[in-house]
Amino acid sequence: MKALQLHHELTAIWRTEPGWRGHLRSVNHSDIGKRFIVAAFVFFAIGGVLAMLIRAQLATPRSAFVGPEVYNQLFTMHGSIMMFLFAIPMFEGLTMYLLPKMLGARDLAFPRLSALGWWCYLFGGTIIVLAMLAGVAPNAGWFLYPPLSGRTYTPGINSDVWLLGVTFVEISAMCAAIEIAVSILKLRAPGMRLDRMPIFAWYMLATAGMMIFGFPPLILGSILLEVERAFGWPFFDPALGGSPLLWQHLFWLFGHPEVYIIFLPAAGAVSTILPVMARARLLGYGAIIAAIMALAFLSFGLWVHHMFTTGIPHMALGFFSAASALVAVPTAVQIFAWLGTLWSGRPQMKLPMLYLIGFFIVFVLGGLTGVMLAMVPFDAQAHDTAFVTAHLHYVLVGGFVFPMLAAAYYWLPHVTGRQRVMRIGEAAFWLIFIGFNLTFFMMHLTGLLGMPRRIDTYPEGMGWTALNLLSSIGGFLQAFGFALFLIDVVLQIGLGRVHRRNPWGATTLEWAMATPAPAYNFASLATVTDREPLSTQPDLGVRLARGEGLLAVARNGWRETMVIDMTTGAPEHVAILPGNSWLPITTAAMLGGFFLSMLAGLYAVAPLFLPMVAWLGWRWAWTNGYHEDVGPLDAGHGYRLPPSFEAERTTGWWGSVLALGASATLFTALLFGYAFLWTIAPNWPPPRLIAPSLAVPALASAGAALSVVTARQGRIAAALGGQAAIVVALVLLLWWAPAPTGHAYAATSAAIAAYGIFHAGTAMLILAFVAARARAGFHSPARSGEVRIARLWSDHGAAAGAFCAILLVVPGWLA
Amino acid sequence: MTVLLRLSAGPIGWAVAFCLIYGLHGVGCAHGWDRIELPGGDAQRIVLAAAWLACLAATLALALYLSRDRSTPLGRAVLATGWTGFAATLVTFVPLLAVPTCV
Ligand SMILES: [Cu+2]
Repeated sequence: MKALQLHHELTAIWRTEPGWRGHLRSVNHSDIGKRFIVAAFVFFAIGGVLAMLIRAQLATPRSAFVGPEVYNQLFTMHGSIMMFLFAIPMFEGLTMYLLPKMLGARDLAFPRLSALGWWCYLFGGTIIVLAMLAGVAPNAGWFLYPPLSGRTYTPGINSDVWLLGVTFVEISAMCAAIEIAVSILKLRAPGMRLDRMPIFAWYMLATAGMMIFGFPPLILGSILLEVERAFGWPFFDPALGGSPLLWQHLFWLFGHPEVYIIFLPAAGAVSTILPVMARARLLGYGAIIAAIMALAFLSFGLWVHHMFTTGIPHMALGFFSAASALVAVPTAVQIFAWLGTLWSGRPQMKLPMLYLIGFFIVFVLGGLTGVMLAMVPFDAQAHDTAFVTAHLHYVLVGGFVFPMLAAAYYWLPHVTGRQRVMRIGEAAFWLIFIGFNLTFFMMHLTGLLGMPRRIDTYPEGMGWTALNLLSSIGGFLQAFGFALFLIDVVLQIGLGRVHRRNPWGATTLEWAMATPAPAYNFASLATVTDREPLSTQPDLGVRLARGEGLLAVARNGWRETMVIDMTTGAPEHVAILPGNSWLPITTAAMLGGFFLSMLAGLYAVAPLFLPMVAWLGWRWAWTNGYHEDVGPLDAGHGYRLPPSFEAERTTGWWGSVLALGASATLFTALLFGYAFLWTIAPNWPPPRLIAPSLAVPALASAGAALSVVTARQGRIAAALGGQAAIVVALVLLLWWAPAPTGHAYAATSAAIAAYGIFHAGTAMLILAFVAARARAGFHSPARSGEVRIARLWSDHGAAAGAFCAILLVVPGWLA
Repeated sequence: MTVLLRLSAGPIGWAVAFCLIYGLHGVGCAHGWDRIELPGGDAQRIVLAAAWLACLAATLALALYLSRDRSTPLGRAVLATGWTGFAATLVTFVPLLAVPTCV
């Protein structure tokens, strides 16, 4: 009976409110994860329809189906939607839904942040799709190269839709990355040491890390290009010292890692599902971890292989070519580990396995053409032909869509608690598999016959006609396949029979709960002693439901979950997670107001939304913490652990470290741009340098030193004054500097100064917050976590501000 | 935390080498180091080769340092990523031996 009572009490604390309130206010990771998945599938369907329109246009020569302008929008939107609105959100959703369950936790580390990410994704994606319906969709290719995407050649708002919409959506990617990384590092079941983590968590840890370092260059590039389009700062205009190649570097600095950011979660799903299907242990756990780490880093050294034909010196091309070929090695290590796992087990030909076989075949072929394209001479021939389109679809559909379909069939029983009704999934597989290969194998051939990408029509007599028709037929077969898949899923949700727990006989913790999962996941938390908890403790789910694990209490209306030591897995403190809230949706709405007014060209209105965002952020942080000391809590099994607001290193501290890491990456990319333009771009040196003033760096450095020292002594007002001095110094510098519209030097300098001002300003806000909290009684010697977090931001603001102030006057000194 | 750092150390060594050599290459070409003839080749190639050798020595030392613990799966993974750093540094810059520098 205790189990039922515990269930009711925990449900009261964790449940999503009924009706619309629930939809708007829920922060529960299962809710948010499912929403991401459903929305990503909707966008996938939209992108798929666009693909069908493209294939309809190309099915015959001299087609009059759509004109070139519409066709440009079709392929740009197809690529952009599939990348930014389907692939990334799909794995984010899958991860948000699964990760806490796999790790044995009750939710993610920052529930409201996942909700904020969801709303940013939904609003940003909606803006992009509405723009398409209005006929002003982006039309410069999914990589939006300037000068084509600049004011001159795209005078309408098409490019702005991409730049603003995608950046809006990227906020959700950054939220998810920080969320996922901190949850994996800190919110695991007690005893789950790093080397006992489910392999999926390793994949997602690497993916989240890659996102934190991979997305900032794109976000920076988007900001710079939007500022160039809106205000005429010439970052990419060679006539004024800019360079369109800078955009390509920033874009592909994101764009290549992006391929692995998409592939790794899918590979994580493969590594999780395959051993279960093979009824064996995953072979080479350590080797796979090494391969993941190698991929995560090596994939950052390949971006120039997308720029082989831009006139970069041969030796540099050689470096990138070698690195591109090298990256096949860790990928192959994983493939062999999977094959070995299959070999060592007794594979069952269940439906997820079928999709995994599809993944093997398609992905390996894509990898092989990838190695071909990594060779500079071959790439020079095949560049910008349909061969490249074929390669990238083999990699992305093989490496992501097939594993995700396997994952859908594997985890759907977990989401719905039901079994499949009919064997439609097999038919869907064969349609998708045959249709896919028919479409894209032919495109290798049309590409080798010289057919360029992105052409809206072609004459007869090029030898491309029959191949294109076959491609189009294949495309439509695929579309039927995906329609069948959708029908299958809907049938399972609506009509499937309720099944017993853990239908696959899996060994990871997400199956140690009732399905569909209760809002709180686990009535009590597991203690883990090995990598496959359900094989050593098959009755774990029942025992946890009976409250025999840790934190088997519902107290104070708190949403409690365990925070552990990163390496050893020893319990550290109890996280008290926030409940349902209006804050995520209102914050996203204010951000949406900012992006929409930028899009509408209302540049005076847009900044008005930012104070609102800051105010909501203040409210957001204000609801954390507690106004009195409560002392250690009884966590069960003899553990007495402090609540999160009395802990030394909270998850918030780790989240801040990662957020600042992302910001520092953006700044590094900006410095790279500054140095790149200075060495490579034409029309340098600039007509006028920033005056070599001593006052600016002296004031900023003094402010920084003051802030760093006084923040440590708890003199918040003085620290605030130090940050204010930095802001004043940098504003003065901008005031005296040449106008940013005149030359790329002045524009990049102003961007660097703006970075410093932004961070010093943020630090001021956070210091003011801490001062107000101290006065309101939220701090005590035990409750000091907030102050530590504030110090991180304030130190970063100080360092960034002083560095910017010094850096910007150095060229003047040297001249 | 430290084990995550050890797992990343090898590839980070390669990443540092990559930034250093690619950066030096860009700066050298911009300043015409390839047109300065020195005994043993042009200044550009000599600078890059010296940087490469230094990076190889550093990543090799790192790999040896990271190879001590082979008893656990994570220890073996650290060993593998350590040697990955060295091997990647070796392979990535082989074009230094043959390809013209700034053309
Ligand atoms: Cu690439």
